[in-house]
Amino acid sequence: MCNCYAVENQGYLWKAPTATKTMKTAFSSFLTSFFGMYMTQSCIHSFIAMLIVDRAIYIWDIGNPLIRQRFRIFIIFIALFPYPLYQLMNPERGDLAFRLGTLFDSSRWLNLELWNAIPIGLLFILLLVFTSFVFLFQELIPIIRHTAESDRTLSSWEKLDHKSEMVRNFGCFKREAQDMPDFYITDNELPILFARTGKRPSIHLSTGIIASLTAEELQGAIAHETAHILRNKRPLLIIVFFLRMLLFFNPFVLLEFRRIVLDEEKICDDMAIALTKNPSALAETLKKLYHKPETRTDGRKHDASVAQQDDNAHVEKRIRRIEGGLGQYAGGQWGKLVAVSIANIIINYFVV
Amino acid sequence: MKKILLFSIVIVTLTAFLGFFNWLPLHIEEGIARRYSSIEEVKTKLKLKEVFVPSFFPQQYVWPPYEIIAQTKPFTSVIMKFRRINGKQDALVICQFSAAASVPDCSPRMIQISESTAFKMKGRMAVLEVGACGHNEACSRMSWLEGRYRITVAVDAPPFDLVKISESMIQ
Repeated sequence: MCNCYAVENQGYLWKAPTATKTMKTAFSSFLTSFFGMYMTQSCIHSFIAMLIVDRAIYIWDIGNPLIRQRFRIFIIFIALFPYPLYQLMNPERGDLAFRLGTLFDSSRWLNLELWNAIPIGLLFILLLVFTSFVFLFQELIPIIRHTAESDRTLSSWEKLDHKSEMVRNFGCFKREAQDMPDFYITDNELPILFARTGKRPSIHLSTGIIASLTAEELQGAIAHETAHILRNKRPLLIIVFFLRMLLFFNPFVLLEFRRIVLDEEKICDDMAIALTKNPSALAETLKKLYHKPETRTDGRKHDASVAQQDDNAHVEKRIRRIEGGLGQYAGGQWGKLVAVSIANIIINYFVV
Repeated sequence: MKKILLFSIVIVTLTAFLGFFNWLPLHIEEGIARRYSSIEEVKTKLKLKEVFVPSFFPQQYVWPPYEIIAQTKPFTSVIMKFRRINGKQDALVICQFSAAASVPDCSPRMIQISESTAFKMKGRMAVLEVGACGHNEACSRMSWLEGRYRITVAVDAPPFDLVKISESMIQ
């Protein structure tokens, strides 16, 4: 048998690669590298998980924010862990032969070129870069800035005695003194209320908020902040936050983490209502503190940013949910989470 | 029960969609990885001038290759897999990858390399590796640069025939 197919190689002339070609080669090398494949598959796996979880929540009508949050946390795990685990199970999973037999091979789309010039993969990388910037400027920097600012201004806050009448009037604490957070107050007209978690949790409130809310509403608001402190004692949420930071490039994780945060607010609403037994007071508090009406009193449109409108919509949803009654949530949702997990793990193994 | 059925329908529909979106690019653009029935077909359809095959072909392997996978996008690669006459698959694998691209390892992967030697072969610097593949079976492979391609030849046996096969691919 002759090697006739190779004969043409003898007269081979080397052509210098053009800049575009070099760029395309570098780009395809990145996408076929471990990190390139990790980023790509993390995004696709989380997108598929998001679709499945959303449909599962809809089909089984899962209203309990605690259960919804578990489903959404699962999406973050699916974005982070499966790729290295799948590769460990089958090192040939990234090979061409495996890719040909899979359910979906992302490289087919990423290597397509628009107008024979722009690889779709380049647009995908731009999306990852854009998501990274959103994470940086909308999440990481504001958190760091807020922590630094609240540390700096802590000296202007006066600590309240646990036995003081004001603290006793907050009313939602039937706990031992050592479990109680510290209370700090500051003289400020603005309605300020927030909780600091950590080793020594505390609730901070301004004289402005005390003046603007009734005693019952204030109890509801403080109960909500207390719920945040109690929830933050569980390491799961802290772990999820750090995992989410590792996935800074993933747009689906960005969306899901924001949904997890909204679910967290709803969980804390539920806990606050369980503590105070007064949902209408909490709804009123939300209306007073966060709800900014769409129209001004003079009838003109409120000039709100997209983020403000988004926040407004979420607060409205929370108010509607509290006013509509929280309903009785069915237990035993673990079976559904297991079904969703199995479906995701199997499908995503065949998505490369 | 109705909800379980609905969830199953969602999973089946999603699987069908993924399958459809996996199939679609093959009909949009030429050069995406796919299986070919012959080397001639690879050359014709992908307009590839160079597909390297050995002129020395030991009798224990079956010609033609039972599987050919090739692509030109994002980089050129041709993988040819041969059976042994006893039917064992992946007995001889020839991989031809674009040298400029960082590409995955040529299957079958070596799980252990016991010896790695560099030597000259018809003016090319080749690397010969001997070790174990798959379920700890003896295997060896040879790789070298040939023009704009990196050629890797792997056999499920010690390297006696491998060197001859590789040399026969160079003119």
